[in-house]
Amino acid sequence: MIDLRPVFQVIGVLLCLLAGAMVMPALLDLRDNQPEWQVFAVSAGLTLFFGLLLLLGTRTTQRRRSIRQTYLAASFGWLVPGLFAALPMIYGPLQLSFTDAAFEAISGLTTTGASVIHGLDNLPRGLLLWRVLLNWLGGLGVIAMAVAVLPDLAIGGMQMFRLEVPGPAERATSRANRIATVILGAYAGVTGGLALALWMAGMTGFEALAHAMSTISTGGFSTSDASIGHFNSAAIEVIISFGMVIGGLPFLLFFQMSRGNAKAMLRDGQLRWYFGLMALGIVGVTLWLVGSRGLAPLDALRHGAFTVASVMTGTGLFTLEYGQWGGMPAAILFFLAFVGGCAGSTTGGIKVFRFQFLFADALVQMRRLLRPHAVLIPTFNRRPIPEEVLGSVMGFLFVYALSFAMLAMALAFLGLDFITALTGAASALANLGPGLGSEIGAGGSYAALPDAAKWLLAGGMLFGRVEMFVILVLFVPAFWRQ
Amino acid sequence: MIDVRPVLFVNGFLMLVLAAAMGIPAVVDLLSGDVDWRVFGIAGMVTAFVALAQIFGARPKGRASLTSRQAFMLTVLAWVSTAAFAALPFIFSNLRLHLTDAVFEAMSGLTTTGATVIVGLDYAPKGILLWRSLLNWLGGEGIIIMAVVILPLLRIGGMQVFHMESSDKTDRIKPRITQVATSITLVYLAFTALAAMAFWAAGMGRFDAMCHALSAVSTGGFSTSDANLAHWGTAVQWVAIVAMMVGGSSFTLWIGPWKNWRPPVLDDAQTHWYLMFIGGFAGLLALWQWTVNDMSPGVALRHAAFSVTSVVTTTGFVSTDYGAWGGFARVVFFVLVFIGGCTGSAAGGVKIFRWELLFALAGIHLKRLLHPHGVFVIHYNQRTIPSSVLDSVLGFVVMYFFTFALFALALTVVGVDFITALSGSASALANVGPGLGDIIGPMGSYRSLPELAKWILAGEMLLGRLELFTVAVLFSRSYWRE
Repeated sequence: MIDLRPVFQVIGVLLCLLAGAMVMPALLDLRDNQPEWQVFAVSAGLTLFFGLLLLLGTRTTQRRRSIRQTYLAASFGWLVPGLFAALPMIYGPLQLSFTDAAFEAISGLTTTGASVIHGLDNLPRGLLLWRVLLNWLGGLGVIAMAVAVLPDLAIGGMQMFRLEVPGPAERATSRANRIATVILGAYAGVTGGLALALWMAGMTGFEALAHAMSTISTGGFSTSDASIGHFNSAAIEVIISFGMVIGGLPFLLFFQMSRGNAKAMLRDGQLRWYFGLMALGIVGVTLWLVGSRGLAPLDALRHGAFTVASVMTGTGLFTLEYGQWGGMPAAILFFLAFVGGCAGSTTGGIKVFRFQFLFADALVQMRRLLRPHAVLIPTFNRRPIPEEVLGSVMGFLFVYALSFAMLAMALAFLGLDFITALTGAASALANLGPGLGSEIGAGGSYAALPDAAKWLLAGGMLFGRVEMFVILVLFVPAFWRQ
Repeated sequence: MIDVRPVLFVNGFLMLVLAAAMGIPAVVDLLSGDVDWRVFGIAGMVTAFVALAQIFGARPKGRASLTSRQAFMLTVLAWVSTAAFAALPFIFSNLRLHLTDAVFEAMSGLTTTGATVIVGLDYAPKGILLWRSLLNWLGGEGIIIMAVVILPLLRIGGMQVFHMESSDKTDRIKPRITQVATSITLVYLAFTALAAMAFWAAGMGRFDAMCHALSAVSTGGFSTSDANLAHWGTAVQWVAIVAMMVGGSSFTLWIGPWKNWRPPVLDDAQTHWYLMFIGGFAGLLALWQWTVNDMSPGVALRHAAFSVTSVVTTTGFVSTDYGAWGGFARVVFFVLVFIGGCTGSAAGGVKIFRWELLFALAGIHLKRLLHPHGVFVIHYNQRTIPSSVLDSVLGFVVMYFFTFALFALALTVVGVDFITALSGSASALANVGPGLGDIIGPMGSYRSLPELAKWILAGEMLLGRLELFTVAVLFSRSYWRE
């Protein structure tokens, strides 16, 4: 039997953090004279109680976690806080059902941004803050996981991003601490910068902070039903577009930059692909907006860039209701949703580097057809890609495709139409948010879906967020055997 | 520079076969007193002339032998040139198709896709109807020979597994290539004759029975009625189900020695999955139709089995408008298009054995997560799969999805709507035929698509039929360098 105490420890710490975060909306509501502050306060107390219970009740002298314990911690470290985060929504003025609240909380924490709430503009500010706080915390958790946990677990090719073995001069723990500090600093710093810029561009202070939080985490919760379209300001849209693009960058880059290694950024093949693909998408959508919708070229570029950046990074903020666009832009957005951002970012999806690996491998395949006996090795950033990494990536891709197909089929089985099922499944797995079509498209809402569909989608979000294998491995019988 | 003479020489023989085939509809038209017989006669003579010109103009001195580069060129050239000449009768017959439509129809026929632009089949002259089915049949024969003889040699997409089988002296499969080709052709002929007799016994006219046998065993899907197989009754449809299943099974396995009246095809891992897929999804959809759409159980089972078999074997016959079965059925059919039949059959798609290997690979990735230093081996039909084979399979599947996405995008760019583009691209790549949606759905027609879209689809059919890499390799720089 696996020793569960270290797992409970981790979950306990996370719950305590969550309880701490709940204090913020409580304070805000208290200042606004909203009676809802009590809900947040009680929820915080409850969460803190359980958190401390887990933390103190399972104290252990063992410092290191085994692989199995890491898997359990990574899976339940998302699920349990997700459920506790739903508390304020159940007992607040919204009176959401348990399903809706859990959906909303998990959607927030996984930085998906799919919402069941309508009428955001009139909600108390505490709840709005809570939603974007979930985005922000979730984004931080994703980066931490992508930098520290997944590479060591060798999930889906992430082992290529193992931190290099530190030299003898520095100790591993101090280095890890430094990396964590730099990344946390960069994350908070970019959030602050964005908030400042948005405030100067004309948002109120609260709106600026809220949108900065949900932008950098590529979450996508907004304070208005019309999302960014509500503000109708070019400056705000451009700032948020930049914020989303930054959210899709590998955050380890900031660490390298902090060590004066700025050139590494330019030489990184992943970034080139990321920007290249995004630019292609923007060109396509912009041309369509000019040609079919008759927008002025600059307006088209602004909206096109915003939409493509939002979909590719899995943010889900929007300026135009692109769910009804149909045809070319729909296809572009649909496929870009699968691509996602870079490794070690807050984005979901398959991620750019996996496509690079596969593309490199396909090219090598082609050369090998002509020269059967040549030794050809695919490379990534001038490093050879080991065979087993390719295997991992392919396994990942296969499971991704399989879960997409299964989820889409299950959703359709519950009565969703073709487009809603297909794009809803893609959007949940990629932690994007809106789908296409009239129901769950941008500006729509997930509220009308059947409860079972909401649970499936929430499960899909979690599944996609932890890169699938972390959860999948729990279902292997050998996992539980000693 | 590559010596193209041997390529043209062999190509000439293939076109001679095509010219000879044109004689058959000519005779049929002559007997039934239709003026189109002249068109077929002249087209046959033109084709024969060009064929002979190639044979005599490019006759090599000694025995003709092909290098692998020439083999790549031959496969592509053979399909393109035969499709071009096969289009001649469509242009000059009473149907008066445009060049685009004629090439689309011919390509769709030869690649055993079965997507049609002709409306009014019930009143079309017999010659044309027979010609379409003949194209299916010849294309099916060509693809089986290619899959068994050429692709394993070229090591396309993991097909070398089957090469090893045929070169292994102790194995059940006859080693010599010509012998294999002859016996496969005989089996193919025998199945066609059996199917024709069964169709006739089930109540079809002799001519219709012949045509449908040709296009069922080749998994082509051209029919002699606009209503497709919905025009005929229950018995005919059950016969078609069996004929399609045989067409989608591995033909190499039918020619091995039978043990106790048991063909080796029944002991093959691929066949088991193939039957499981068809059975599972047919059952599921039958249940869906029975419970949700109130079809009577017998009818539901027949239509579900028919449609699933038709899509999985990439035939494209239609017994009822399954596009109207609701969201669930549409998603299922969309996903099924990617499955494909067995290798060594006339079916297209990704093919079952590749899915099996991918599945095994994902399983290994999962196991390796728990035991990072374990050594895992994939078995397929009781033999170990070397990693080079896995690599090719991965390359193939990745390219397959890239191609699907790229062509779907291209279709939307020329003005096709989202569903039509997505399902059309998937359907053309897998050589299925009908897509989803109002335009190209099971009861629709490709006629109203824009011209460019037809060319794109025709190109995609060819790509899918030749297993992508055969064509893609011609576009690589190293192919043309010495």
